[in-house]
Amino acid sequence: MKLAATNSPASVEAARKQPAIQVSNLSIVFDSKRGQVIAVDRVSFDVAPGEFVCIAGPSGCGKSTVLNTIAGLEVPFEGDILVEGAPVYSPRPDVGMVFQQPHLFPWKSVRRNIAHGPRMLGKSRTEANAIADDLIAMIGLTRFADAYPSTLSGGMQQRVAIARALANQPRVLLMDEPFGALDAQTRAVMQDNLLALRDRIKATIVFVTHDIDEAIVLADRVLIMSAGPGRILREVAVKLPRPRSSSVMVEPAYLSLKKDCLDVIRAEGLRAFNQSDAN
Amino acid sequence: MAMQDAASTRRATAIRTDGRARRPDLVRRRRLNVLVGALSLPLFVGLWELVSRSGTVNMVLFPPPTVVATAVLEWIRSGQFFGDLLASLFRVTTGFIVGGALGILFGILTGQFPVISSLLSPLFHILRPIPPIAFVPIVILWFGLSEAGKLFLVVWGVFFTVWLSTHIGVQKVDRGLIRAALMLGTPRRQMLQEIVLLGALPYIVVGLRTAVSISFYTLVAAELAGAFAGIVYRIEIAQQNLQTGQVMGGLAALGLMSFIADRLFAALAERLVWWR
Repeated sequence: MKLAATNSPASVEAARKQPAIQVSNLSIVFDSKRGQVIAVDRVSFDVAPGEFVCIAGPSGCGKSTVLNTIAGLEVPFEGDILVEGAPVYSPRPDVGMVFQQPHLFPWKSVRRNIAHGPRMLGKSRTEANAIADDLIAMIGLTRFADAYPSTLSGGMQQRVAIARALANQPRVLLMDEPFGALDAQTRAVMQDNLLALRDRIKATIVFVTHDIDEAIVLADRVLIMSAGPGRILREVAVKLPRPRSSSVMVEPAYLSLKKDCLDVIRAEGLRAFNQSDAN
Repeated sequence: MAMQDAASTRRATAIRTDGRARRPDLVRRRRLNVLVGALSLPLFVGLWELVSRSGTVNMVLFPPPTVVATAVLEWIRSGQFFGDLLASLFRVTTGFIVGGALGILFGILTGQFPVISSLLSPLFHILRPIPPIAFVPIVILWFGLSEAGKLFLVVWGVFFTVWLSTHIGVQKVDRGLIRAALMLGTPRRQMLQEIVLLGALPYIVVGLRTAVSISFYTLVAAELAGAFAGIVYRIEIAQQNLQTGQVMGGLAALGLMSFIADRLFAALAERLVWWR
């Protein structure tokens, strides 16, 4: 939406024709000891280029599975996933991913970790290091460029992981509860960092979280999922102004959005509870 | 409220004076430990000398340290010691390097490729628990008293330890790292050199360190099986001549070699896993 407002009419037209991500009728079935489990049931959604979408839902609702499938990491699925118009079979360098754990390479310094992607795509060491140093400056870790991950705090490690994912200049950035393992204060800081970062990069972002506050603060649109089987319950457009920060959480517009989301979640929780009661 | 404050102040003072009283005590105790540690070896060597010379034990079978030292000096002066040392060191290092290299190679193969693991792991798991010393008779049949037989025994001992730890290390490489590497465009065929080898390195290093001491005790078996030079070979000859001093000197030399090798490897290991 934001991109459309700043671009020429022609690219607006193109953007409207081709979403960055198209998920249609995605179903994922796992084999378990008690037979087949439907993890995700006919989920469909589009993400426009440059849009920031949050998928929110309880643990076990399959939201991470959906993200991994878009990344090309998951298991067999049914349905269609198109990223930038092309079907996804395996990981591709124009789709970046940040996991819940930083998964930094422990034997590489911060700079080498971030330079890894560009190196793998054939950039020279000098070019890759230059890209890395720019990103290190952007995440404010210049002093730690030569440090090894084990010497960094959890928040710092996750900032490096985000920078590492951005080093290949992905058109799509997937984030799987990246702040879930951080304490509340670090988490709020990281959310503000991400909002500031987002205004400088042009990537389409899909962000998975179980925290409805986090989803509303960050997103242009929130997809609320239900568990067992995973379905999309509701789409909520977040029309809060940007640039945004976590202080938006006290605005009346924010609170009414949150109430809408909580009502949906509560109704679903009640339904699930009654259903399990009936069984 | 006031009473509580007073009580807590009193407690704080009590703790502080207690601490002040305890600190010199701690220092004194630490000094005592250092002193006792420094006296440990001289004390026991002195005791050994006294017991040996007291007449309560047979001095030929249990010679005092002075006799052992004389025997070692004679051994060195005769020129035999360095020949023996070199022969033993050659067997241990060559066997360690060859066995270690093979162990790492096969560990990567079985750890990384399930088909190779299905083919080789059952065989390796059957052979691994057999103590290398048990192979001495068949090694003599196969290789006679040649150097190849001794190397075979050391390689055999080292190989299985290093193979198993490498195999486990490769299998335990964090799946998250591999997924992250995939998302960053790392081709699958480069995953081994970029991620798996380094991820397994800490395990490989532990396996190699265990193998250092294993290489020494397979050396003992190898030289007892018949040799023409070597520390353990010399121990055996000295035993047959009832030169108990040289036997004990040989044991001390073997212990010292093994100790130095272990310390050297520990120092090397710290550099090998450089990010820790």
